[in-house]
Amino acid sequence: MRFCPYAHRTRLVLRAKGIRHEVININLRNKPEWYYTKHPFGQIPVLENSKCQLIYESVIACEYLDDAYPGRKLYPYDPYERARQKMLLELFYKILGYQNTIFFGGDCISMIDYLFWPWFERLDVYGIADCLNHTPALRLWTAAMKQDPTVCALLIDKNIFLGFLNLYFQNNPDAFDYGLTC
Amino acid sequence: MSGASARSLAKGSAPPGPVPEGLIRVYSMRFCPFAQRTLLVLKAKGIRHEIININLKNKPEWFFKKNPFGLVPVLENSQGQLIYESAITCEYLDEAYPGKKLLPDDPYEKACQKMVFELFSKVPSLVTSFLRRRNEEDCSGLKAELRKELSKLEEVLTNKKTTFFGGSSLSMTDYLIWPWFERLEILELNDCVDHTPKLKLWMAAMRQDPAVSALLTDPKALRGFFNLYLQNSPEACDYGL
Repeated sequence: MRFCPYAHRTRLVLRAKGIRHEVININLRNKPEWYYTKHPFGQIPVLENSKCQLIYESVIACEYLDDAYPGRKLYPYDPYERARQKMLLELFYKILGYQNTIFFGGDCISMIDYLFWPWFERLDVYGIADCLNHTPALRLWTAAMKQDPTVCALLIDKNIFLGFLNLYFQNNPDAFDYGLTC
Repeated sequence: MSGASARSLAKGSAPPGPVPEGLIRVYSMRFCPFAQRTLLVLKAKGIRHEIININLKNKPEWFFKKNPFGLVPVLENSQGQLIYESAITCEYLDEAYPGKKLLPDDPYEKACQKMVFELFSKVPSLVTSFLRRRNEEDCSGLKAELRKELSKLEEVLTNKKTTFFGGSSLSMTDYLIWPWFERLEILELNDCVDHTPKLKLWMAAMRQDPAVSALLTDPKALRGFFNLYLQNSPEACDYGL
């Protein structure tokens, strides 16, 4: 599904390794019956090869592609460095999983929310709409954050930010003043 | 291989020195099923190691430098590299050390082992919940959930038509899930495998494995540990010593 971050992972790896592939998008709100023969719970992403082998769980699919296909290796060769990457991923899940309230610190916005927000705001500016079924807590948090007066007052205008990035990646020194009228 | 039956290190203890060359250290706890995974892999691959037990109810301050989450197992090698998260430690050992490979080389077969392992993911928290609530009247809901998860594993064995989860011989997934099956009997959850005959056969076959049988926990000690652990006693981790 075009907006699912988990499927996005797999498409990133396919592209990064230059693996020839075809994409079939699944309507997650109205799944075809046959899709359950590909995944017992109808989740995405799922890889299927010409031997009819099916691989699912985004992280497992990505590792499979790295192992099975030649070219640039995305995981390091060194066992310790590989382990480090996997430990980092666990940290990421813990951040997502740490939320059992609307905000990261409880029912009201607090320091940790402000400390996280800048990165998530930038992701939001790119318009990566969250996957329908995944990380609903994060989606709720983003929406709740945008209602905070402080966050609102400092929200970056999407077009200005994209304009900045455009110039920035061209190493244009005018990037920093993009959008200023005087 | 030292330290398996050593008293645990607690708050106020001196941090251990560096790991000698040729050895890998595992920070463990005698009754922890997650740490047991790592010990099983160390044993199965014949990796020289030393064990330092940690008092999980009274953790040494220095332990958080080994793992910011303060959990066992943690591996430390002579280069000072630290690896934590039990499944990650097991995969690291398989990759870094020679000898019998516990994960297959074939990318698809390896992915299959990991997909099967995912099917097991709800079991540890269900067993923990059961442990905490077994004196309450109604655990039937929990037991039903556990049975549902176990039947997923039964289906794998039925479809594969093999004794073990990776094929005809023991491999990584078998070791990763075993510690919870070892605890079923002590927790009086054996009836949860009543409708899963292949799982029962698998359990019996596992007990024949040299690494599994070498690391079997004494049931009396485990019971003693559970009682003290649930009371948050700092003596729990050293029960029986």
